[in-house]
Amino acid sequence: MKEIVVISGKGGTGKTSLSASFAYLEGQNALVCDCDVDAANMHLLLGADFSKREDFFSGEVALIDEEVCTNCGECKDVCRFDAIHVKDGQHRVDPISCEGCWYCSRVCPTKAISMSTQKAGDLYISNIKQDAKMAHAKLGFAAENSGKLVAKVKKIGKELADELGVSYIITDGSPGIGCPVISSLSGADLVVLVTEATVSGLHDLQRVQKLVKTFNLKAVCVINKYDLNENMTKKIEDFLKEEDIELVAKLPYDETFTKALAMAKPIVEYDKNSNLSSRVIEAWEKIKGKTI
Amino acid sequence: MKIVFTAKGENWDSPMDPRFGRMDMLVVYDEKSEKLEAIANSETEEMEHGAGLQTAKKVLDLNPDVIITGNGAGQKALEILKRSNVKMYTGAGDMSIKEAYEAFKNNKLQLQF
Repeated sequence: MKEIVVISGKGGTGKTSLSASFAYLEGQNALVCDCDVDAANMHLLLGADFSKREDFFSGEVALIDEEVCTNCGECKDVCRFDAIHVKDGQHRVDPISCEGCWYCSRVCPTKAISMSTQKAGDLYISNIKQDAKMAHAKLGFAAENSGKLVAKVKKIGKELADELGVSYIITDGSPGIGCPVISSLSGADLVVLVTEATVSGLHDLQRVQKLVKTFNLKAVCVINKYDLNENMTKKIEDFLKEEDIELVAKLPYDETFTKALAMAKPIVEYDKNSNLSSRVIEAWEKIKGKTI
Repeated sequence: MKIVFTAKGENWDSPMDPRFGRMDMLVVYDEKSEKLEAIANSETEEMEHGAGLQTAKKVLDLNPDVIITGNGAGQKALEILKRSNVKMYTGAGDMSIKEAYEAFKNNKLQLQF
């Protein structure tokens, strides 16, 4: 079994649209993990049914025991996140602003403040439209993605993949280069870098490639919207050559992308016979070839 | 020589864990005493961030000569590890611990630093 992780560095490059298309093409033979939990939307494209759910706990939040609290206000003075307010003469913690740093709990003279783990969101296993399964998560308000959550999604995905005996795990990675991305990349057999022909597309590709190199991972690249700025595409291609990364597809700007998205379908499902779809299919074949 | 393997289980036949920071298990082999010891690393599973640094500390506390892993460590953990005398070898992510040890002996792994 091979795990293919799709990342982009920059948002809006078409990473999720492409991941969903690859997953759709591979059908039952792939297990899908959506690790882009901050803005999880792959479930929309793949028609996830959210059939299995479990709670996800992450981070802590302060809680004031009003029986013990003397309303001295020391907690409010030290809080760096402006999370403690007086309401009806009683100091209270706003759980959305609280970062769980423990400062208030440490300084409270009457030990009235305890820290409790917070439910950050839900983890799901879903059946998806191509008769396959998907591991994903949804965060609650003010909760953020983390290496921990990504590792959980991937763990569930890996167990399912073993059980189902699929050939591929297709992981929609998180954007950026931080902790969740590192966690997305861990254990990957191949990384697909999706970029676009813009200044920030190249810049973020360079940043994320640095990370990929740290982990000695093999990578290929897709340049989306290459015809928006062919000079920039040339620069990206030069960079790929320097880094010895194979360019598996150059996709033109195409409204099929957004039309498919609006219909909640992967590109290759929305218009199988379009020029765009055939390029995506070709890219996926090349990507698979690189995992051997 | 003392060797730390990033692993998913506790004996020679257990698979390696390609991850460093969030590895399931640290398996330590002391060539002198020929003893294999496993140390759970499950607390990193509950850490939102900073798993790499935490694990690096744990590994360095054991004072090993060599770390054998799959993909290698992240930037922050690397900075710490490089400042000690430990050597890191990568490319053993798909092997069992035994295979990883053999590969190391036969110079088949990549030396990171």
